[in-house]
Amino acid sequence: MSEASRPDRAAALVETFARLAGALTVDRDPVDMLDGLACDCVSLFAVDAAGLLFGDRRGTFHVVASSDERPGLVDLLEMQVEHGPGADCLRTGAPTSAPDLEDHETGRRWPVFAARAVAEGFRATHTVPMRLPTRTVGALNLLGAEAGHLPADDLRAAQALADTATVGLLGERTAGSGAAVLDRLRTILAGRMAVEQAKGILAERGDLDVADAFVRLRDHARRTGRRLTDLAGLVVDGTVDAATVVGGDQA
Amino acid sequence: MWTYAEIEPVDDLRGFQRTLAEVVAEGGSEAPRRICELCVVALPVTGAAITVMTGPDHQSPVWASDAVSARIDELQFRLAEGPCVEAFVSGRPVLIADIAAVDFPEWPVFAAAAARETPARGMFVWPLRAGDTHVGVLDFYRDRPGPLDADAVARAEQAADAAFWSLLGLRRRHTLDAVGTPVGDDPANEEDDGADPHGWLAGAPLERREVYQATGMLIAALGLGPDAALARLRAHAFVHDSTVDEVAREIVARRLRLDPERP
Repeated sequence: MSEASRPDRAAALVETFARLAGALTVDRDPVDMLDGLACDCVSLFAVDAAGLLFGDRRGTFHVVASSDERPGLVDLLEMQVEHGPGADCLRTGAPTSAPDLEDHETGRRWPVFAARAVAEGFRATHTVPMRLPTRTVGALNLLGAEAGHLPADDLRAAQALADTATVGLLGERTAGSGAAVLDRLRTILAGRMAVEQAKGILAERGDLDVADAFVRLRDHARRTGRRLTDLAGLVVDGTVDAATVVGGDQA
Repeated sequence: MWTYAEIEPVDDLRGFQRTLAEVVAEGGSEAPRRICELCVVALPVTGAAITVMTGPDHQSPVWASDAVSARIDELQFRLAEGPCVEAFVSGRPVLIADIAAVDFPEWPVFAAAAARETPARGMFVWPLRAGDTHVGVLDFYRDRPGPLDADAVARAEQAADAAFWSLLGLRRRHTLDAVGTPVGDDPANEEDDGADPHGWLAGAPLERREVYQATGMLIAALGLGPDAALARLRAHAFVHDSTVDEVAREIVARRLRLDPERP
């Protein structure tokens, strides 16, 4: 992935921040917003995939949004923060990179993750924490098909985007209350899992794979002006017919 | 009532698990009663009871297999102390070989009252929980002293798991018909997330996303509601000695289709 020239890149970065700030201002669906952010990260930085993860009450991290929905990528992102370089990031609260997943040292530390990442087509991974003042609540993972460090500017920009998203989603509403943060995280995670259920329903009814089902769901939400997770709930309880969403009609 | 065919499968732990799984899969307001009755047959205990709890001093009896069980629970909840309260709060089982034998500094009034007013000697309580979600307790009493053996403990743990899932299903429907005690007036149960219209995700620990995808596929394929679909998936995992994650993966990959009729 080639980088844009500096002015183009600066403009693109401003645009991404503007989109993020705008989404927060209008209280857009968190899952949808983070989905957009993951895709923006792939455009902005020299990476080929991105994912955002939040932790649940038990400290297990779940992908809330990713630049692509294929199960192999989602599994890899979740493995990364548990048995990969992302685990270091969560522990230290500092950005962490593994610029060459095929090197000896990386392979020795995380043999399963490194092998799986390479099999999925990635040679480098970079993680920045999603932080509140009192705790790390998640991670933004970036995966590159080529080995190499991310430029310092990119890491700084990625951290700033992650911080904006985190504080925007969790900080403002909760006034620092730990219980309120957990509650808000739970709502966001529950929203993602409702989307997963809706994907299953659409996949079954439409004979699709779950990644395609997500695209239909997201497109239908946008076309009909509904929040993604609201639409997911309506598909799950049957209020919105799966066939309508699968078929791409307006409803 | 139990027929011979229903009792026979509890001879081994696997059969016991399978029977529990069927109870969970069928769901409904009879599930807690059936679980208690199954325990009284399959465990070396005299009585069993299930109580919903939303706090150490906030409980709703769901089923008690006999008057003694009911009395033991009632005493604890009136006195706001005892092994049920401790199990609920601590999240760990409380196993007492003989309530009459020693002093219990954590619940002296209850211990004295139970020894005086009931024939119970052994008391064994399991919290009904998964992760941070505590919904109540499953408690047993025995009319003779002595600890439970390892096999009984294993069965009790299976029963506690089954009781947890059956209660979770009931709570979301806001009825507990077993003893005509309505539950669900707690505003915490009424959260409307939009994204989580049944509130079913609110109470349960978070699974991997394949599990939710698989329950979606079961909702569509078998015409089940979300709770029943998850219960069905769990029942299949129980019966086939697999895990929920593994079964979910197989369903999503379309290598496994569940039979509408049986776990």
